[in-house]
Amino acid sequence: MAKKITGYIKLQIPAGAANPSPPVGPALGQKGVNIMEFCKQFNAKTADKSGLIIPVVITVYADKSFAFITKTPPAAVLLKKNLNLAKGSAEPNKTKVSKVTRDQLKEIALAKMPDLNANDIDHAISMIAGTARSMGITVEE
Amino acid sequence: MKNYKQFNITFRPFLPDLVSGLLWELDILGINEEDNFLFVFCSEESEVSIEQIEKILASLQRENLIETFSMESLILAYRNWNEEWEKKVNVIQVSDRIVIKPTFRSYDAKENQLVITIDPKMSFGTGEHQTTKIMLQLLEKFTSNGDAVLDVGSGTGVLAIASVLLGAAKAVAVDNDEWCLDNGIENIKLNSVEDKVHAVLGELSDISESGFDLIAANINKHILPDIVHELRNKIRKSGKLLLSGLLVQDELDIKEAYSTAGFKHIETVKMDEWIGLVFTV
Repeated sequence: MAKKITGYIKLQIPAGAANPSPPVGPALGQKGVNIMEFCKQFNAKTADKSGLIIPVVITVYADKSFAFITKTPPAAVLLKKNLNLAKGSAEPNKTKVSKVTRDQLKEIALAKMPDLNANDIDHAISMIAGTARSMGITVEE
Repeated sequence: MKNYKQFNITFRPFLPDLVSGLLWELDILGINEEDNFLFVFCSEESEVSIEQIEKILASLQRENLIETFSMESLILAYRNWNEEWEKKVNVIQVSDRIVIKPTFRSYDAKENQLVITIDPKMSFGTGEHQTTKIMLQLLEKFTSNGDAVLDVGSGTGVLAIASVLLGAAKAVAVDNDEWCLDNGIENIKLNSVEDKVHAVLGELSDISESGFDLIAANINKHILPDIVHELRNKIRKSGKLLLSGLLVQDELDIKEAYSTAGFKHIETVKMDEWIGLVFTV
């Protein structure tokens, strides 16, 4: 029989670097999940993605055991990775730090479709384009 | 003890992926998404402020991606968030010889059994995890009387404590986390091995001694290649290096990194999806 699920925890943490500090400690601790066990598993399973931010959804069961799945990094993180950019602009209206093509936006939009709540791919692309502009990345038409 | 800044942010429409990605432009530790809120955490010393977050949210407003937002901030004090789980820790039989128990459980040791008392307090090395069991079983196999042992990333101190109870003359336990080190020191006292186990707060490079007979490192895969040369300098000829914190699929990468640095692989132990590797020089 399937185990009874008592809740879900959604976190974003750097790959390979989970530790009991917030957000991991408070989020898992209040549900009675073994924080250290999660950290060990998460770090081992994301060690090869070092440097990326990893969204993770943890399913908590009635017996306090857990399972988790990792998802693709947030759109802004993917934009920086694709454009080989360390940081967005602190003044996105004034200082531009890079350019992104529609093909690059589409690639990210396709990867992020499940997480964006977008109506269709064009809507998803426009959301990623808005994100890019708010980071000081010029969107090429 | 450490404190953290916590920012509770909500916005409409709630597009957590877009907003959170931009928040990672700031010096934050992580994000928890719950009930249309993003709870964002950073160290108390970081320069992250409400104004910085407002600037990000305002830029998304200009792009018509969000319409409204609000937030509050508070200070969160560090504490043992694992306390509830730790209350349920049981006696753990690691091998025929080694047993781990918390102070609040009793256990009648059989002849020749070695009972280690560990109160974990949110540190790695409770004895529950497969990698801790693998390392303890390897220590049981490779520890000789009089050995000098180094435990890298010592957490609760369980490996260093076990090594001296198994006959090592002394052990150095090093951890870069103050909270873990304090817990390790408590456990060292619980097992009355203060005269043999020396706990050090810091990195491996802070250990001036070398010529260790046995080195144990149950840490993360991506850290192990970075410290291979330091470990090589700390171990004596024919000494044994025990590594874990590794999944089955990590074996080839680690063997390659350590062989290149002059270590010779002599054994792999598997438990479920986890492995421990033994090297010598």
